[in-house]
Amino acid sequence: MTRSVPGRMGAAILAALSVCAQVGRAQSAAGRVGAHAVLAYDRVSPVPGGDGMGELRVVQPALMAHASLLGDRLRFAGMLDFEGATMPGGQLAPGAFGEGYVDRRHPHTYAHELMLSGVLSFAAGRAGASLSAGKGFAPFGTDDPMSRPVLRYPVNHHFAQLLERAVAIGAARYRGLIVEGALFNGDEPEEPSQWPRLSRFGDSWSVRATARAALGVELQASFAHVASPEHRDGAGTPQRKWSASARFDRGFGSARAYAMAEWARTSESDGLFVFTSLLGEAGWAPGRHSAYYRFERTERPEEERTLDPFRSVRPHHDNSVFGRSRWAIHTAGIATEIAWEGMPVRIGPILEFSVGRVTSLTPASFDPASFYGSETFWSLSAGVRVGWGARLHRMGRYGVAAEEGGTSGAHSHRMVTQDDT
Amino acid sequence: MTPRLWRTAFAALALAVACNEEDPGPEPALIQMVDGDEQTANVSTALPLPLRVRVLDQAGAPVSGVTVTWSLVTGGGGTITPTSTTNVDGIASAAFTLSPVVGEQQARAAVDGLAGSPVTFTATATEAGGGGGGGGGPVSVRGGGNNVPERFTSDLWLHGNFGYTGTWGLRQQQGNAIKVWQLSATGAPTLANTVVIPNVGTVSDVEVTADGQMLLATTEGGTTAANGMHLYSLSNPAAPAPLGSLSVSSGFHTGTFATISGGRYVFGAQNPPNPALVIVNVTAPASPAVAATVPVPALYGIHDTFVRDGIAFVFAWNTGVILYDVGNGLKGGTPSAPVEISRLITATGGVTGGPQAHNGWWFHNPTNGEKRYLFVGQEGPGSVGGFTSSGDIHVVDVSNLNAPVEVATFRLPGAGVHNFWMDEARQILYAAYYNGGVVALDVSGTLSGDLASRVLGTLQPAGPAGTFVWGVMLHQGSLYASDMHTGLWQLSPVPEN
Repeated sequence: MTRSVPGRMGAAILAALSVCAQVGRAQSAAGRVGAHAVLAYDRVSPVPGGDGMGELRVVQPALMAHASLLGDRLRFAGMLDFEGATMPGGQLAPGAFGEGYVDRRHPHTYAHELMLSGVLSFAAGRAGASLSAGKGFAPFGTDDPMSRPVLRYPVNHHFAQLLERAVAIGAARYRGLIVEGALFNGDEPEEPSQWPRLSRFGDSWSVRATARAALGVELQASFAHVASPEHRDGAGTPQRKWSASARFDRGFGSARAYAMAEWARTSESDGLFVFTSLLGEAGWAPGRHSAYYRFERTERPEEERTLDPFRSVRPHHDNSVFGRSRWAIHTAGIATEIAWEGMPVRIGPILEFSVGRVTSLTPASFDPASFYGSETFWSLSAGVRVGWGARLHRMGRYGVAAEEGGTSGAHSHRMVTQDDT
Repeated sequence: MTPRLWRTAFAALALAVACNEEDPGPEPALIQMVDGDEQTANVSTALPLPLRVRVLDQAGAPVSGVTVTWSLVTGGGGTITPTSTTNVDGIASAAFTLSPVVGEQQARAAVDGLAGSPVTFTATATEAGGGGGGGGGPVSVRGGGNNVPERFTSDLWLHGNFGYTGTWGLRQQQGNAIKVWQLSATGAPTLANTVVIPNVGTVSDVEVTADGQMLLATTEGGTTAANGMHLYSLSNPAAPAPLGSLSVSSGFHTGTFATISGGRYVFGAQNPPNPALVIVNVTAPASPAVAATVPVPALYGIHDTFVRDGIAFVFAWNTGVILYDVGNGLKGGTPSAPVEISRLITATGGVTGGPQAHNGWWFHNPTNGEKRYLFVGQEGPGSVGGFTSSGDIHVVDVSNLNAPVEVATFRLPGAGVHNFWMDEARQILYAAYYNGGVVALDVSGTLSGDLASRVLGTLQPAGPAGTFVWGVMLHQGSLYASDMHTGLWQLSPVPEN
């Protein structure tokens, strides 16, 4: 694919999203578009080599469109993500890994989510079933970090979500109980312009059960078998993944509270490498201001790096995973939102601080003190979140698994999504 | 779409998911010893043969997939594979490394609830140097080791009184160096020089021409310009001097010299995303010229090449082994126009990741003139820092080069194979086995089935907890081993008789 193709592709998708949204409006159904971006300065110390580093980046630049047609029987959820253009080298984030990036969070693909769902409702809305297909999230784990309060992506992103796949999902709901099953392609993207390998569609699968109880509580458990995620042609080793989480999201008058706790486990190469993650986060928004906190303890692979210490060899060569490390990170932040009457634009300053410690689980091959100069680290992010139109939705749930009201539950998260804090 | 059609589609999807469920299979009822009992070996060495048990059901049929727990009864300070899983023959095995204590030592295998559990094995540990490694006795350490602390060590090659080792990845320093060693028949190798190749991430392979005039180093993980291959003059073998290089943006994973029709070539293994066998004419080393590029399927590419008698054996991971005529005459191929002879996908043996054909050696047996066997190394998943590895030796009968067929395998429980060297005159295959150390196999006669009984000796030069051997090579009466964590070792090979 040439450099110009992503641009043409993006324009075509954008046009399609626009048409969908217009059709939705013309039929008096839900149809919304929105935009989102964060201008962020990240300061991190140390980075590989022992120094500090700071960068100004536009992160999470996204265009969204949602449409609901035919009496909400047909739904579309789309998001274009332009991180490939605004942060091709990734975002500084100690501990982050995946898709060939290390200690930087990778840019997502331009077509982040393009999902179409057919939805049926039964028993006066108490039950339903849906089939969804397109490019998006496999039903596994928790919500995309982009739609959660903390700006910094968690280290466990690749253990707790399966995204940007060609996926077909069947889902059934009875009252608050939802079961999803999906087939998808195992390969992860290696650059923003890549599409999933359609020839590999169906080599991987996942199932997820969700129970939505009263008072804003949601429980989730899921399992996935992912074939060769690290090698696009399919010659890599498989992963088995487990996830369980409890989530709370509820309004209290003009305030809103959010909390989530998750456990995730990934076993690679039939148990040769096992990585576990525990994460808890919470937010409180009494009005337009909000505060949040996250603690995470996640194990990650230590991979053979290229001369660029922020990149790892792709695809893996012999024994490219040479060790494991554990990252324990506390992150706290405050944010606010400034909106103007009658204006669709929102602006929200944000300030976030992280501090953590890395421990080698294979000291013979990886010594954080010598590699980073210290086993402890910190990061500071200061920025401005800009939003227009529709807000970020809970990415990763489609059809009847999206919250009530269609269009992928876009109305939820009054306080807790990043775009909403 | 009608509701009925939606329901039908969903049911089909649910069925597809349900079809992934596995049959639970027969219930295990009995565990019994197969072999491995009453072996003798030196203290602090691994027994030459694995301990093996079989799990059967009530009807006496083997049961696969049963986890067997292994433990030491006596002999604290020794080690044993903690758990293993029965294969399709119902057999599970474990590697038992004796403690430093002379005398009888015991280990056992157990599966809760099975008749016959636990099964107890007894071994005898003898004084070091007392033989007992099976066959001609064990391999032992002469010297060296713990001599490259700042980098991980990769491949090795030795010529004359000097040795050369590559370096891998990033440790305290980047793997951008060739280590030059002064050899001694009796003493440990001593570091004579360090040649740094700028902008390189890993020096993945090294080799010296048979005449000792030229050193090859393949490189990867660096810049586009620095990745590829580098040639050095060994006019002064202690100080390799740059002769020429070839840039390959994705790097060469390995390279091997071959002389064909008077020309000298390097057979390079070009890394993904466009894996290929690249044949480079280095007859004029100052200006290496690509003679041919043969694409290899990206599953996930080519890892090594063995060239002999004008035939190139390409080890192409999950594509298996591909044989090319590059000057043999069998198919009219040349280095600039290779012609495929045949290909074979070696068995997976249940190793995660597939056949993973990594390296090989075509055995020319001087005692009977046979050129019958090709040994193929399977590199399964492993971890340098976790001291784990997997993968077997697969023996392929290439008597008919047009129709190779796999005839035998060898597995060292708890470890995976990497590079080979052969003592062809004595019909001994030496295999680097990462955390398993070095294994010497008797490959005389006809090879068939499981070669577990042909172990002549094993050695983990840096001990059971610290060994990770990349490669081995026989030279001037010593067996040299490059260990990723501890550098270059000088070992004594299997003794005569």
